[in-house]
Amino acid sequence: MFSKQIPPLNSFFLLLLALWASAFFSGCTPQEASFRPNELHVASLSQDSTDQQVSELAKTASNHVEELFGTPDSPKWPSEIADIVDMVKVKRSAGPVGRDKSKVEYGLFRKHCVQCHGTTGDGQGPAAALLAPYPRDFRRGSFKFKSTPIGKKPTHSDLVRTLEKGLPGTGMPAFGTLNHSVEFAEDIDALAHYVRYLSVRGEVERRVISAIVNQENAAEQAKIIASKVAESWAMADSFSVKPPRLITTWVPEDQTAAIERGKAIFLSELTACSKCHGKLGDGNGTSQDYDEWTKDWTIRAGIDPNKKAEWKPMKRFGALKPVLDSARNLTLGAFRGGETREDVYLRIVLGIEGSPMPAIARKENDNPGITEEGIRDLVEYVYSLSNPVTSGAAPSNEKGAEHEQSN
Amino acid sequence: MNSPTNPRHALVYLAAALVTVLTFPLIWLGGLVTTHDAGMAVPDWPGTFGYNLFLYPISAWVYGPFDLFVEHGHRLLASVVGLFAIVLCVIAYRNESRGWLVKVCFLFLGAIIAQGVLGGVRVLLDARTIAMIHGCSGPLVFALGSFIAMASSKRWRLASPKTGSNGLGRVAVMLLVVSIGQLFVGAHLRHSLPTWRPLFFMSLVHTHLLMATLILLAVLYIAVLVRNSANSDNRELRTPANALLVIVILQILLGFATWVANYATPWVELTPWLAKYTVQGKGFWESMIVTGHQATGSLLIVCSLWLACRAYRRVPVEQSAEHSLASLSNESESTARKSFRPESVSVGVE
Ligand code: HEC
Ligand code: HEC
Ligand code: HEM
Repeated sequence: MFSKQIPPLNSFFLLLLALWASAFFSGCTPQEASFRPNELHVASLSQDSTDQQVSELAKTASNHVEELFGTPDSPKWPSEIADIVDMVKVKRSAGPVGRDKSKVEYGLFRKHCVQCHGTTGDGQGPAAALLAPYPRDFRRGSFKFKSTPIGKKPTHSDLVRTLEKGLPGTGMPAFGTLNHSVEFAEDIDALAHYVRYLSVRGEVERRVISAIVNQENAAEQAKIIASKVAESWAMADSFSVKPPRLITTWVPEDQTAAIERGKAIFLSELTACSKCHGKLGDGNGTSQDYDEWTKDWTIRAGIDPNKKAEWKPMKRFGALKPVLDSARNLTLGAFRGGETREDVYLRIVLGIEGSPMPAIARKENDNPGITEEGIRDLVEYVYSLSNPVTSGAAPSNEKGAEHEQSN
Repeated sequence: MNSPTNPRHALVYLAAALVTVLTFPLIWLGGLVTTHDAGMAVPDWPGTFGYNLFLYPISAWVYGPFDLFVEHGHRLLASVVGLFAIVLCVIAYRNESRGWLVKVCFLFLGAIIAQGVLGGVRVLLDARTIAMIHGCSGPLVFALGSFIAMASSKRWRLASPKTGSNGLGRVAVMLLVVSIGQLFVGAHLRHSLPTWRPLFFMSLVHTHLLMATLILLAVLYIAVLVRNSANSDNRELRTPANALLVIVILQILLGFATWVANYATPWVELTPWLAKYTVQGKGFWESMIVTGHQATGSLLIVCSLWLACRAYRRVPVEQSAEHSLASLSNESESTARKSFRPESVSVGVE
């Protein structure tokens, strides 16, 4: 009677039952989270190793690092090295998501970031392969949008800026939206500390791997390496560059003249901006390249990222398909490092670490290069590509005034 | 007793409809819990921070952090739904003449309780896999509730099992099965574990897209079938078929919006808007879109179940006409509406 009346019903009940049952047989106990050993780095440094050797070596390095920095559920910080992270904040960002009995929230990183950046901060979260650019792998210790020169670490406020504003046109979200909750201001701060923690941990791991590959005593080296890496973060503030205040309300003729001069610099051989960004700044340049994260395991390991047959074997160590880090279409005006003229100034003067975008060559003493005035003109030109000025007449003034307001 | 207009039956229908209508916001709230990863915002169960569920101070709930608000609210609404499910069982037990339907009501109550326990176990063990199962079975319980409402409706009593070939019914059942499958895949996307490899997640997304295409095709096919004049006995299936069409289109739009809200797109240089678009981490409207996609997914399941029920139980054409003449008043079924001709309506207005 039952099944005759309603054919889909029986299978429906079975389904419900099966779901319920599977809840109890699916190993419901939470697993202890662990950092994923950096097999890709091992594989790119020691090409002739077997898979077994790669995984063993990576595990060894990972164990050395674990002794110093702990696990994702219970992070620690070696007392011997510079005290650059606040461990209370790191602990709050680490661990599984949830509140404790006194309503303090834990697991911020797994709540907000892990889907893209992965537990290890290796940029290998579940969603990673579907994003372009790929999420940042913090372990290299390189960051793109910061106030310090290439080769130096970002400052704390650089990281906070990225977290608050996000990176337009990438998957990287802006977390400033939660600012209305009193606690979230602290959350961003705590997460920035955790990014540092993950980055230091990962960079130490990479260098320990090199040490092992070079037959050095890894156990001995690990601590020395750790203090060097921590020191580089501790120094960051001292390298931070303050941009000058740039003109936002222009006299129209002066602005047009500055833009013209800037354009000439953009097109010049000396800066080569147009080689990458195209003559019109629309991103259609001839020179296109990969980023450093990709080059680490391709070009530097003797693999051609353009040849699938060559890079494909690296997929089993976690490599994602190499994707060009194309020069930006500047006419769209989505500046990831910030939208003010001052931000654009910093990008041009400092370059974008890890990407092909170089720092501009400055004129110093006898070095050929661009003068400070030239750089300001260039900034105005780049800025005008996405904020066109209607020349001469009254509307341009209005436009200028508008900009000042929005800045 | 078994007359279609027996008021005692209408009572069962009302109770079932009420529970079902309440379950939908519960699905939303549950979806918000997932979207905000608020499953562990309250670390204990069945209590809330040591309080009895119903005694937890309202001010601490409403003015507390958003994740706590959502999680505690989900628990409260769930207990309300549970209470109404008990009421439904009592009403059905006393008024419903079909024994099997009474059994289904109790099964529904059991399913609600199981669902609650599953939610509790998820908290006690802090197990994300259980959260996913809880998220999958939620819409199925919702579908079960709406099935009771369908089976206790007047139309169901008027109808009898369809004889002969029933192509449309088969497509409807297939649609139901694929929609449930799609729910499972979607739940994997939402409850992905940090340990999953990117390529596994990517294949899930591709499966989700493939199944969305299948669902769209099935719904379009159904829309054509019910309009086909050769199958005039399919006409009364137009309401669910049209509802399905609207829901699927909405769902696919919401799906893409969900993707953009969560991950932006890889093709940002196509338009200035995309290039400048910044994902808003846990933004309010973004989380509504994402949660809306999840909730609309369960509506799709319910709607295909509705279509399947109608396809397998037909109201004889003459009878439905007679019946709709007899009680035009509170008949909300398409059989009634069908007897109005658009012309006659406009004449009436003039
Ligand atoms: C939806 C995916 C996604 C989520 C979630 C996400 N990120 Fe990112 N993140 C990215 C992508 C993609 C990039 C790389 C952007 C680029 O290279 O231009 C990035 C880059 C970064 C950078 C590097 C910025 C730089 O200057 O190089 C930091 C730091 C960062 N994310 C931290 C976080 C933190 C902390 C969270 C969690 C609060 C988080 N991200 C959440 C996708 C994400
Ligand atoms: C070797 C190629 C190359 C050259 C030369 C180059 N760029 Fe770039 N540029 C890039 C790439 C690649 C990016 C995108 C980096 C990223 O986000 O990964 C970029 C990004 C930018 C951005 C966007 C910054 C932001 O905040 O998002 C600006 C502005 C820019 N370039 C200006 C210039 C100017 C001005 C010059 C000349 C002084 C120049 N570039 C020279 C490759 C180049
Ligand atoms: C008929 C079509 C579709 C149906 C029925 C459907 C159904 C669902 C359901 C039910 C969920 C949530 C599962 C849960 O939380 O338990 C979900 C999640 C999701 N769906 Fe769909 N979907 C459809 C089409 C699409 C399309 C076209 C996209 C576009 C990319 C999409 C993207 C997503 C994403 C990204 C998620 C995860 C959301 C998150 O991370 O929170 N869906 N889907």
